Amino acid sequence: MGVLMWFAALMLFSPLAQDSEDFSRALPWILLINLVGIALLLVLILGSVLRLMRDYRRHVPGSRLKARMMTLLVALAVTPLLIIYAFAVQFINRGIDSWFDVDVAQGLGNALELSRTALNLQTREHLGDVLSMAQQLGSSNRADIVAELGELRRESGAAELTIFAANDQILATSSENPEYTVPRPPTDEVIFQLRQRGPSVSLEPQMEGSFLSLESQAEGGYVRLEPLVEGGYEILAAVNLSPETPGGEAPILQARFEVGQRISVLANLVEASYDEYAELSYLRDALKTNFTVMLTIVLLITLLAAVYGAFFSARRLVVPIQQLMAGTRAVARGDFDTRLPIPARDEIGFLINSFNDMTQRLARARKQASLSQQQVEDERRKVEVILARLSTGVVSLETDLRIRTANRSAGTILGVDLEAHLGESLVTLAETNQLLSQFLSVSRSHLDRGDYEWREQIVLHGDVGRRVLMCTCTALSGEREDPGGYIIVFDDITALLQAQRDAAWGEVARRLAHEIKNPLTPIQLSAERLRRRYLGAHYADSELLDRATHTIIQQVAAMKEMVNAFSEYARTPEMAMARFDLNQLIAEVADLYRHPEQPLTLQLHVDPELPIVEADAGRMRQVFNNLISNALESMERQTDKEIIISTRHLQRDGVELIEIKVVDNGPGFLDDVVDHAFDPYVTTKDKGTGLGLAIVKKLIEEHGGQISARNGERGGAEIAILLPVTREAGDAMLFATHRYDKRRERA
Amino acid sequence: MGNNKTAAGCLGFGVGARVFCSIAVAIVALGVQQSAQGQQDPGRFEIRSASVELQSGVYYLDAWVEYRLSFEAREALEAGVALTLQTEVEFLRNRRFWFDDQEASLRQSYELQYRALSARYLVMNLNSGEQSSFATLFSALNFLGRITELPLIDAALLDSDAVYDIRIRAVLSTDDIPGPLRLLAFWRRDWSLQSEWYRWRLGE
Repeated sequence: MGVLMWFAALMLFSPLAQDSEDFSRALPWILLINLVGIALLLVLILGSVLRLMRDYRRHVPGSRLKARMMTLLVALAVTPLLIIYAFAVQFINRGIDSWFDVDVAQGLGNALELSRTALNLQTREHLGDVLSMAQQLGSSNRADIVAELGELRRESGAAELTIFAANDQILATSSENPEYTVPRPPTDEVIFQLRQRGPSVSLEPQMEGSFLSLESQAEGGYVRLEPLVEGGYEILAAVNLSPETPGGEAPILQARFEVGQRISVLANLVEASYDEYAELSYLRDALKTNFTVMLTIVLLITLLAAVYGAFFSARRLVVPIQQLMAGTRAVARGDFDTRLPIPARDEIGFLINSFNDMTQRLARARKQASLSQQQVEDERRKVEVILARLSTGVVSLETDLRIRTANRSAGTILGVDLEAHLGESLVTLAETNQLLSQFLSVSRSHLDRGDYEWREQIVLHGDVGRRVLMCTCTALSGEREDPGGYIIVFDDITALLQAQRDAAWGEVARRLAHEIKNPLTPIQLSAERLRRRYLGAHYADSELLDRATHTIIQQVAAMKEMVNAFSEYARTPEMAMARFDLNQLIAEVADLYRHPEQPLTLQLHVDPELPIVEADAGRMRQVFNNLISNALESMERQTDKEIIISTRHLQRDGVELIEIKVVDNGPGFLDDVVDHAFDPYVTTKDKGTGLGLAIVKKLIEEHGGQISARNGERGGAEIAILLPVTREAGDAMLFATHRYDKRRERA
Repeated sequence: MGNNKTAAGCLGFGVGARVFCSIAVAIVALGVQQSAQGQQDPGRFEIRSASVELQSGVYYLDAWVEYRLSFEAREALEAGVALTLQTEVEFLRNRRFWFDDQEASLRQSYELQYRALSARYLVMNLNSGEQSSFATLFSALNFLGRITELPLIDAALLDSDAVYDIRIRAVLSTDDIPGPLRLLAFWRRDWSLQSEWYRWRLGE
């Protein structure tokens, strides 16, 4: 704003016309305002510079760009300004100097000199007049002094003629002017001069201590040209009169002469011109200074405004770039929600638009990706859940036989927690695992051959006995021809096979029983008839008859018994479920075997907290009967017989079970028998049907329980039964996956 | 890499710094130039003595002022510039608990001018219109410096009970100096010539 004012002011200001008084008066204030403006701008700029330097040192993004732009803009703005300034100052100074011509000054001086000379002629003339007048008065009578004075005045043409005594007392006066004005007494200058009698040079002291020499114009006379304020001149002349009394003060005769109108005017004009030129010439330096100062102010304001503007523009230009940098960093950090404001519809705006677009797309893509990932995750979890609950074992292997995944069933079937060994090589694991090594060897026999798709029934031999697995293997698709891995799926069909076998046996038994029974009765009847008929009479071979028929009947009876046992085994009557205390039942059964004559130690280690069990009491009695009698039979040759029956309540997989153990201290099972202990007709005894354990197994399995046999640590036989507490539990067990007691396996 | 950066940065700032420095130097040079001229006589106005006399109910002032014009002022005068000298007189009423109250004031102005043709120094009393001319500046200033029986104020206009102070000073007025000088007069001491206030109690 100050610049605009200045500009307007500059227009008004003309070098020669000093008459713009208002402007001149306002000049200092305009100057002051501008200086304030300059100071303000300097402060602002300093602030900006400091801020820029601090940002530069701190490596704030965009600061270097800003600094570069800044310096560029400043250089661009400042250079032409400075050049123009330098030239302008030069021009002004030279210009002003050129106006003041030495010739002009000379001319004016000469004109003044000429005027002065012209006027000096008059002054001398008038002085001469006054001197002659003085002489006349000296020789005249004092009485008529006034009249004489008047006459002399008129003669000489003076405007005023006065005689002054000492101490400025007016003795006589005559004036041209009808209005009487008191004549002014002679000044000290006049008196001083007149006191010097005779031609002399008087010295007027000057201020600096020097002296100005004044020539006395004439003998005892004084004359001067007096400029009038209102314009025009008059000539003042004064001479000493002869004193009244000799030695006294001499009165002074003073005359005022008017200078002719025409000469006055001309002289005035000349003086005016001269004065004006002199004043201008004097003011020349001041003028130059003025202009230079004004120019400098204008320069400073423009310069500082340009510099500040440079800062401002630089900052404004850099801001979107800084935002862009910040935005890029945010995006790199993963924050895709940054949106930058669009500053302007230019290239940078376009850039920022593209940036926003990009982040938007990234955000969308990421969301998409996370959704997909989520879906995949969900699918995977579903599959995982399925695999976990699957009764089939699923194992996926890398090509180098490292375990990629394995489900729980796989581990259960193979007896190794494969899930805990993911990533490890199956080979190394198999080194410490019997079942696994067998499984592995079979698998490798196929895989090493390059047979990736196979199906085989594998028999594994372990601590718990035999396990039969149905294995299927497929290859995962990998690069080109080679497989990416293998998946082996296997089911434990041991139970299935066993059940099949049992069913087959059952069927055979039933049929056989039926078929055999048929001819038995007629044989027995016939034998009995024979005995009845022919035993009473005394035949020669009646003893033989007696023995033979007895044998026939006996053996037939034995066969019938066997067949009945078969039938029983094969038959599956309805279960009569009841709720009872198992411990009590066991105790009751055990009591039957406690004879004082029987050297048997029968211990019951029952769980006092055993819950009420829901089962067929009759079947359970039979179970225990069979087990105890079986044990007794095996220990027939021992004297120290011991049987321990123990019960325990436990939970497995959410199913409430009772574990019953029957342990004896007999010889135990033979190695080749223990696996098949529960198969029908597996027996080492001479007598008996060989179906005892088989029946027990059947009865237990009807309850949904499990039974297993092994040799105990002390060598005796150990039968373990898992009996479900309720019928539902039993059903669950029947449908559940085959579970082996891991503890028993590892033991 | 770091060196390049700092070099570029310094260069940028170097250019800026140079620009500013050159301007600052120019201003300082201007100021120096001005002050160099000020080595000449700065001039001085001084009230050597002053007294007031009550005559027939009117206070009259007698004072002696020593006028010493500065070199600049004299140069201006010789070139034809008219100088206005003012004598300011003030009556101050003493108040016990507050600032003094200026009850009356008087300003006597004279115009001093050099006439080239007649080579005389003209003094004009701007209040009364009287003019006097002098052959030298010295006599003109002497004349100006002697104030005799300048009527100030009617005694009746002052409160007889109150205590009054009088103070006077002499000032070179810059109101009417030519335009180009005005700017210089604004800050230069040789143009702001004025004496100190000379103060005394009325009645002593």
